[in-house]
This record gives sequence, structure tokens and C-alpha cells, in this order.
Amino acid sequence: MFRNNYDNDAVTFSPQGRIFQVEYAQEAVKQGSVVVGLVNKTHAVLVGLKRNAEELSSYQKKIIEIDSHMAIAIAGLASDARVLSNFMKQQSLGSKMTYGRPIPLDRIVSQIGDRAQTNTQHYGKRPYGVGLLVAGVDEAGPHLFEFQPSGLTQEMAACAIGARSQMARTYLERNLDKFDGCSRDELIQHGLSALKETLSQDKELTVDNTSVGVVGVTNGKKESFKLYEGQDTAALLEVLEQRESAGAEAESMEVDS
Amino acid sequence: MNHFPEAWGRPRNDVYGAYDHSYLQTTGPKAHTSSPAVTGTSVVGVKFNGGVAIATDNLASYGSLARFSDVKRLRTFGDKAIVGFGGDVSDMQYLDRLLASMDINENYSPRGNMLNAKNLHTYLAKVFYKRRSEFNPLWNHVLVAGFDGEGEPFLSSADLLGTTFSAPHLATGFGAHLAVPILRRKFPEGMPLEEISQEDAVQALKDCLKVLFYRDARSIDKYSIAVVTKDGIDLKEDEQIQGQSWAFAERIKGYGAQTV
Amino acid sequence: MTSIGTGYDLSNSVFSPDGRNFQVEYAVKAVENGGTAIGIRCKDGVVLAVEKIVTSKLLKAGANKRIASVDRHVGIVSAGLVPDGRHFVSRARDEASSWRSTYKGPIPTSALANRLGGYVQAYTLYSSVRPFGITAIVGGWDSEAELPVDGQVGTGPKSGSGGKVEGAKAGGPGLYMIEPSGLYWGYYGAATGKGRQTAKAELEKLDLSAGNLSLVDGVKEAARIIYVAHEDSKDKDFELEMTWISSVDGPTKGRHEEVPKELFDEAEKAAKQSMVGDDEEEEEKTQGEQMEE
Repeated sequence: MFRNNYDNDAVTFSPQGRIFQVEYAQEAVKQGSVVVGLVNKTHAVLVGLKRNAEELSSYQKKIIEIDSHMAIAIAGLASDARVLSNFMKQQSLGSKMTYGRPIPLDRIVSQIGDRAQTNTQHYGKRPYGVGLLVAGVDEAGPHLFEFQPSGLTQEMAACAIGARSQMARTYLERNLDKFDGCSRDELIQHGLSALKETLSQDKELTVDNTSVGVVGVTNGKKESFKLYEGQDTAALLEVLEQRESAGAEAESMEVDS
Repeated sequence: MNHFPEAWGRPRNDVYGAYDHSYLQTTGPKAHTSSPAVTGTSVVGVKFNGGVAIATDNLASYGSLARFSDVKRLRTFGDKAIVGFGGDVSDMQYLDRLLASMDINENYSPRGNMLNAKNLHTYLAKVFYKRRSEFNPLWNHVLVAGFDGEGEPFLSSADLLGTTFSAPHLATGFGAHLAVPILRRKFPEGMPLEEISQEDAVQALKDCLKVLFYRDARSIDKYSIAVVTKDGIDLKEDEQIQGQSWAFAERIKGYGAQTV
Repeated sequence: MTSIGTGYDLSNSVFSPDGRNFQVEYAVKAVENGGTAIGIRCKDGVVLAVEKIVTSKLLKAGANKRIASVDRHVGIVSAGLVPDGRHFVSRARDEASSWRSTYKGPIPTSALANRLGGYVQAYTLYSSVRPFGITAIVGGWDSEAELPVDGQVGTGPKSGSGGKVEGAKAGGPGLYMIEPSGLYWGYYGAATGKGRQTAKAELEKLDLSAGNLSLVDGVKEAARIIYVAHEDSKDKDFELEMTWISSVDGPTKGRHEEVPKELFDEAEKAAKQSMVGDDEEEEEKTQGEQMEE
């Protein structure tokens, strides 16, 4: 039944010093539909590809607002993500209540990291089967963090997790140096372009399956998190299409106008 | 005395009557601090153009006894906030340790997310309110000085009940009665902050401390004064009230050893 | 390996017939794959350094710190599973804070190492947990100056009973390394992670027990040693991270801090240059190519 004797639980090291249960949990993240995050000096953007179980069912939410200054995008077990997002909402609210301060991003990210780590060291628990991208703004500016089931959290310039996310990461790596000079809208477009890279031949981005979230600072003023879903994404997708066709005409991958 | 050990050292029942155990009641309501023991008196603070100035004297009184004369009642938090404590000194020490542990925790995060004075005031007021709601108050009245999230000068008070109050100039304890009128005269209502210089603010505090030393019997002429600006905190803890004149005392009649 | 297939290696806290706890040994394997971490105890302070392998171009450069502060005067760096390292640091911070609430002062580095050693050891005792997949280096400076007790508001008597002892000195630098078994020793120079053998060989050349190495030179040696140790995994990019702790009279005023940029850059540049010098087979490289390596 098992691949070997060392993958029954998260409290057993393999002879190589690996913890297979944690590695398998990372696989669950790859089963989830893709989400992309990117950040520059003024904004942090999350975009996600929503899936529906069947034609007539609703789409699974991919981006969850935690507070007005922060949101997460999820890939993997959505119910695990809900546990984590509820915890994050509580912590964020707690910080506003006791200090009157929006919780700093690195704080809340290391808190969920610590929680996830506990699940990998104690018998009877299992690692979370979800990966998160945490985007938000605090006193130190916009941030993007990646959270993994192992409890590893890393601050990223850009990131993509979920099914076929490698294509998006390749796009992000290739365009990484452009993000800092980007406007808010251009950054969103880069996110959508990265997301589009992951689609298989027969799929495309539509108002039904696309989610976009933005948070940032403009001229020193914090801009609350805004989520675009459904018809709100129509305008964004239209711009994407224009840029792509303009790009195709110029026979170039680059779509900066 | 008889041979029963439990009776040794007890007054003899046959002489004094049976011991009345009701005097040793351990049941009944649990009592917490219901009055302060060693106390500091007034704290005075003034906002000015670009910062806040705050001052206290260096005395801790035990009742009417001037018990400790080198007590630092201004405590810094990070490099942009300061708390001035009036009231119970041991509760102040407790809060100081609390602030120290918060400061250590804050510094675990990378720079740029330090709690500002406004955050600190919000927190301290919650601590006071929680403790008074448990009928175990921290017997202090504090002023918090520094900057708010927008970088504007911040000055606000919180007391043992969790009451908060904010104004361009504030004073606690005896100072609330004696210093505030002086400050209101110097800086009338509606006077824009831009017109108050740092020198004016510091001078006003010194004047207040002098009057307080004249009239507050729980005060002393050694004081601490701090100025918080964007550049950081300038804290002086060993100052002496200058230019005292007790001539006015001659005119005060009706107490003490005076015979006329 | 003799451990595999015997069944004695499937659960923590189980001894094999020859008296070994294989799960702990496997945890050590996790450490041996991690980036190299070192600590140097100099005469006037402690330096910590770590080689951070850059796993992705998308990581925000310089943002993901691996050396953590505990209280104000201690630094911890670990090699192995990064989330385990964070757990360890979080426990260290709790210990430091509980020490403060009991004793009203900073925890001595030796006491912290002792408590953490006990904590890590506890994770080898039960089948319901796994050992820590890290080896941690704990460096600190115990103040030799007389510190005010936390919450102290006055100065107290200047002499006589309860007064100050003139010229009394205590404290100094401390460096400890804690292994997955909970075992810990004090060190003059400590190294763990993938390049530990190379790093140890370099540390031994420094004759640290003589106590002559200054803190600033220690920083430069630390940078160089991380670069030398990185030779084993040359194909991978890495970031160098360094922190230091000096006495109250020194550059960090008794605090654990990042090495300032100026000194850091100088140390890293010298380290890179020494690598070019060492490697005579390779053609001389320009600074730019070195950066991309």
C-alpha cells in the first residue's frame, strides 16, 4: 500500500532525512488550480484561475480577503485554506483591536508558518494540504509571501503555485525586472499574462474563471484590497486581449505598450 | 497549657476563653490593590510644531514621605515614543517590564513596522481597562507621547480605569489642576500647532514643574524632561528646577506654625 | 546501511540492539543537506554567518533572513529544515522571555543553550514526535557591565550594603551548537550544514582558542569560510547573511545585529577575491562574472 516504510506519518524521517508525508502534502498543492502573485514597490497583485466541479456548479473561490490590507490566494485543499484564513482573520482583527494597527505581513505569515510546522512534528496531525500566496501592505510597503505545507514561508518578488504553475513561473522569471517600473494596471496585466501561460490548449480566461485581487499604496496612501470577480474582470481581460494581439502583430512576446 | 501540641503557644482557654475563629476568616471577597503605596505625582506634556515634550519630577512618595528622590518616571519605547507615569511606582515598574518585552518582540520583525505612540496608547488603555474590569487595577495615570501613524505629533492619556483623553497639552495628578490652566493660558484653544516652537513647549513645562513644586507637597525640584521629534528622543533625567522664588509664601496665611 | 529493514528505525525513541536511535541519526541527515552555517567566537564578540542557497529567481533578494535574534543579545542560525529552525527560535524567544519575567534580566547565553538543549532532547524521547531536523548555532554576548534590573527606576545606594561592587566584571562572548539529539557543546568556532567539513578545517586554522581574533577580522573570516565551503555546491547560487554581537563598548553595544552594509560588502568582496586567488586553474574572472556565479 505504501511506497516505503517511512511515509506513513509526518513524524518519521527517511534514512535520507526526508519527511515523505510533508512531500506528499506538497503534491496536493500541485493538484489545485493555479494562482499567481506579484509585487512591486507600490502594489501587490494576486490572480487566480477558478475551477468548477461541473458545468452547473459554482466556481471555487481562489482569493480570500483577510483584512482591508491583505488577502491570500490558495492552491490545494480549500477546506485547509479556510482553517488558515479564519485564523489569519482573527489575528488581523486582534491586532487592530489591541494596537489599532493592521498586522504586519511578516508577523501573520510566520504565525501560519509556525502552525503548519507543528503539524509536521507531532503524531496524529497531518500537514496542511494547501499552499498560499499572501499579498498585502504594511508600514514597510507591499509584500508577497509564499506559504508551503512544510511550514516554509518565503518572501517573493513574484510566485505561482498550483497545477501547471511552472509555465507561469517561467513567464514571471522572464519579466521579473519589468515589474518594479510597472503601474498598478500593468502589474495586473503581467499577472493575467502569467496565468494565461498555464492554460491548456482548449482553455481560456473568462469572466467566470478569473479572479484578480489588488492591494497597494498610492502616493503614500494605503489603497484597500480590491477583488475583481465576474463582470468586474471583463475590462481587465479585454485589455489583456488587446495587449496580446498587439504583441502578436509586433511578433513579440513583450506586450508593453 | 496542656500536653496537646496544638495548644502550645496558645492563650489558655480557661483563662482567656476559647479562641474566636471568626477572626481568621479566609473566605469572603478576594481583595486586590485598593490604594497605591509608593506614588509619583504629576506628568505634564505639550505638543509643539514637529514633536512632543513631556516632563515629570523624580520623586516617589510613600504617603507623605518623600521616599525616593531619583526615580525615573519617563520611560522610552523604541526611539519614537515615550511614556510618562504618575501613580503607583511598582505598577509602573510592572508596565515598564511589559513595555520592555513588547520592545524586544517588536524588534524581532524587520525594520519598518515598529509600534508607534498611538498604537502603544491604544494598547496601554486596553491593559488598564482589562485590569480594572478584573477589580485589580494598575494604579497609574500615564501620558503617551510620540507620533501617530500619519507622522503627526501624538499626546494622549490613559488612567487606571482605562479612560483615555487627548489634547494638545495634558497633565495628570495634581498637574491636572495646577498645570493645565497655565498651559491653557500659554497655548489658548485654537492656537495652531505650527505656532508653538519646541523652546516654547519646553519652557512651558519647566514653568509648570516650578509651580507644581511650589504648591504640590508630593513633588520635588529634581525632574526629567524628554523631547520627541522625528530625529528621536532627547531625554534628560537629572534636571534641577531653576530660578525659584518663595517670596509668595510670605503672603500665605492660615496654616502651620504661623501665629499671626 | 544497517539501520534499514531492521524495523528499529521506523519510530522515534526506539533503541536498536546496539543502542542507537536511528530517527535521530536520520534527522542529522536533514541537517547535512542544509546550507552551511557557522559561528565564530572572537575576543570581543561573536559572528554568525550562513550560506543561503537561492532556490528560485523569484525569491525577493535579501528579504528572507535566516539568522534570528533572541532577546536583544543572542543570535541563532541553523542548518537543516527551515521551518524546524523557526520553531526552535520561537522556543528560544519564549525561554528568554520567561527568564526575564523570573529574573528581571537577560538570559545568559549558556543558560539559553542549556534550556534549548533540553527542549530538543525531549523531542527524541517520544514516538509521538520527531526530532528536530536542525543543528543550531547559538551565539550571544552576556553583558559584563552592571545592567539595571528590568523595571528599575532609581539608582540605589552608591556604596555600603546593597551598593555597587567597584570594577566587578562578568559576562563575555558565548557560542554553542545544539544537535538534533539535544547534545550541545560550547565552541570557539562552530560549523554545520553541507559544507561543515571544509568550514571546520578553515576554522581550525584560525587558532581561535588563543583568543586573538578581533570581531571585525572574524566577520571577514566568516565571509571567506562560507565562500570556501560553498565550493562543494558551486553550481548553485547563494546569498551570504551575517550578523554579529559585540560587548557594550563595541560596535553593536551588546546587541545582536546584522553586520553593517559597509563592512559586509568589504568582507564579501575580500572573500570573493580570495576564491579567485585560490583557484589557479580557473582563468581570472571579472568582478561581474563572479557575481553571476
